[in-house]
Amino acid sequence: MNIKQKLQTLSLLACTVFSTPILGLEEGDSAPVFDLPSIYSERPAISTASLEGKTIYVDFWASWCAPCLTSLPLYNDLYHKYKDQGLEVVAINVDNPIEDGLDFLLDTPLDFLIPADPEGNAAELFEVIGMPTSYLIEPNGKIKLVHMGFRSGDIEMIEKAIQDSLDSK
Amino acid sequence: MRTLRNSLLLSLCSLLLISCADVRAWERGHLAREEMAWDPDPLESALNDHIFFSKEASSGGNSAAGGGCGCN
Repeated sequence: MNIKQKLQTLSLLACTVFSTPILGLEEGDSAPVFDLPSIYSERPAISTASLEGKTIYVDFWASWCAPCLTSLPLYNDLYHKYKDQGLEVVAINVDNPIEDGLDFLLDTPLDFLIPADPEGNAAELFEVIGMPTSYLIEPNGKIKLVHMGFRSGDIEMIEKAIQDSLDSK
Repeated sequence: MRTLRNSLLLSLCSLLLISCADVRAWERGHLAREEMAWDPDPLESALNDHIFFSKEASSGGNSAAGGGCGCN
């Protein structure tokens, strides 16, 4: 290998090493552990440890993300439908400032857990690529479903995955 | 020698590519803010465009696509 080839290899290697990889968590991966404050200051913090043994649907949302706002009331219906079977919905808000998220919640009250992650620490752990992204996590901590975006008809597919997960418990 | 210098220059230039910063998905709210708009004052822009059109007999070409939350 001559010097020119070596330099070309080195530059390619530099680009590969220093460029930020965009991969994201996939189905079958272990879900990251998080501990976040609730968006409501008077409510306790929300951690994965306190949800052990449950089927968890984690959703990342923000007030500036239109599909997120469409999906949240539908997740609220799913939560009420399946909470007795062990479903927990955790909708992590990434608004910065969090008041933007609270403004939305004033008009659209939601009954599931809503942690605040204004710095994106949990979003970083989950390697979120787009908004909204949601993860169905089974009681064993493995990710069963990763869902990006939200289009009409998606809720049926998500409900089916939740049902399958709850039935296999 | 020139080839070596060119290769070295190319390698150094390729390192500059890493200076591009990603806007992560959860940070895109900043791009949605009013002050980040290409056109913060539509009325003033319309007046300026009218003056420009009167002087130059041409108009447009002063906006660009952008933003979005990468949702779908």
